[in-house]
Amino acid sequence: MIIRKLSGILSNFTNLSRVYAVMVIIVVIAGIASIPSLDYQGDRLYPKTIDRDSPLDPYDRGGIPFESTVVLAEYPENSPYLGYITAYLTPLSLALAAATPHMGTTIVAHPGGIIDEILYATRGLDTVVETTILFVGFAVAAHLFRRREDE
Amino acid sequence: MFDLNIEGAELFALPFGDIVPYFSVYSATLAAFVLIFILIAAFDRPERQLNIIFGGDAFYEKEIKEGDTRFSRFMAIACGFATLGAVLTGDIFNFTLFAVLVGITNIAIVASAGNHHVLNAAFQYGIVAMIATVPLFGAAAIILATTGTLSIWTLAGMGAVPLLAKAMLILGVMGEGIAPLYIGKAEIIRAQGAPFVLMIHFSSLLLFLRVTEIVLVI
Repeated sequence: MIIRKLSGILSNFTNLSRVYAVMVIIVVIAGIASIPSLDYQGDRLYPKTIDRDSPLDPYDRGGIPFESTVVLAEYPENSPYLGYITAYLTPLSLALAAATPHMGTTIVAHPGGIIDEILYATRGLDTVVETTILFVGFAVAAHLFRRREDE
Repeated sequence: MFDLNIEGAELFALPFGDIVPYFSVYSATLAAFVLIFILIAAFDRPERQLNIIFGGDAFYEKEIKEGDTRFSRFMAIACGFATLGAVLTGDIFNFTLFAVLVGITNIAIVASAGNHHVLNAAFQYGIVAMIATVPLFGAAAIILATTGTLSIWTLAGMGAVPLLAKAMLILGVMGEGIAPLYIGKAEIIRAQGAPFVLMIHFSSLLLFLRVTEIVLVI
C-alpha cells in the first residue's frame, strides 16, 4: 500500500524536486543538531589574514613582487615556486597600489585579483573548473538564444 | 590510501599542486570506461526516428541534420571529460566542482531538444541540480573545516570526516546524478539526439561509483 503510494508520487517528475528538497531539509536539520559535536580545525591549511591598512586590502597576502611570501600547502614538494605567484603584481597594479589606498577593490588588483584561490597557486585547477562551469552556462544560453533566431 | 580494500594498487599519481589526481585499479577501470564512452559520443551518428502511423502501412522518417546535433555532441563530449575529471581527481572540492560540471552539461545535452515535454523535464532537473550544489559544496566546506584538508590522500583511512559531511556529499551527488530518472520519465531516450543522452546515464552512474569510493575511503 505504502509502496503504491510512494511510486505514485515518484511517477510524476514534477514531484521529484520536492522529494529531493525534503531529503535535503531532513539532512540539514539533522546536521544542525550535530554541529556541536564537530570540532573546528581552522589552523591547518589555507590561513587568511586581512590587513585593513594595505592598499591591496582584501587580497593582500604579503610579500613584495618577484620575491616569495609564506603560503602553506598540503604538498609543498609539488609546488617549488610557492609564494612567487602570490606575491606578484603587474607593473601597472604596482604603480596603482603606490598611488591609491583602494587598489584591492579594483579588478586589475592582482593576477588573480577577482579569483581568490589562484593567489595560493596550489589550487589552480579549482579556478579552471569553476570558470568552465560558468562558460558552459553561457554556451547553453547562447545556443538557445541563437536557435530562436533560426526559426 | 592504497592499502584500503576498495582502491587496489596504485598505478599512477600526478603531483599537481595540492590536487593530486591518481589512478588506482578502481579509478583506472572507471577512467577506461569514460574514455570509451567519450569516443562513442564523438563518433556516433545521430539516431534516426521513424514515426509509424497506426492503422496503415505508412511511416515517415524524421530528418536529423548533422548541424542539429552538433551542440549535443559537443556537450556530450564535455560531459565525458567532466566525468573523467571527477573520476581521477584526488581532491574533495575538485570532485564537487566536476560533479556540478557534469550536472550542467547534462542539461546542455538535452537543451537543444525542441520538445516541450523534454524541456520541461530538463527544467525540473535543473532545479534539483541547483539545490544539490548546497549539500555538495556544504560537504566540502564541512570537511575542510573539521579536518583542515581537502586531499583524499591525507584523509584516507583517518576516519576524521564527520557523518554529516558524508551524508551531504552523497545527497549532493544524488541531486546532480538524478538526471536518468527524468530521462526515464520524460522518455528523452526517444527524443532527438538520442545517442548523446547515453552520456547522461553514464556520467551519473560513474559519479555514484566514484562518490561511493570517496565515502568509503575518507
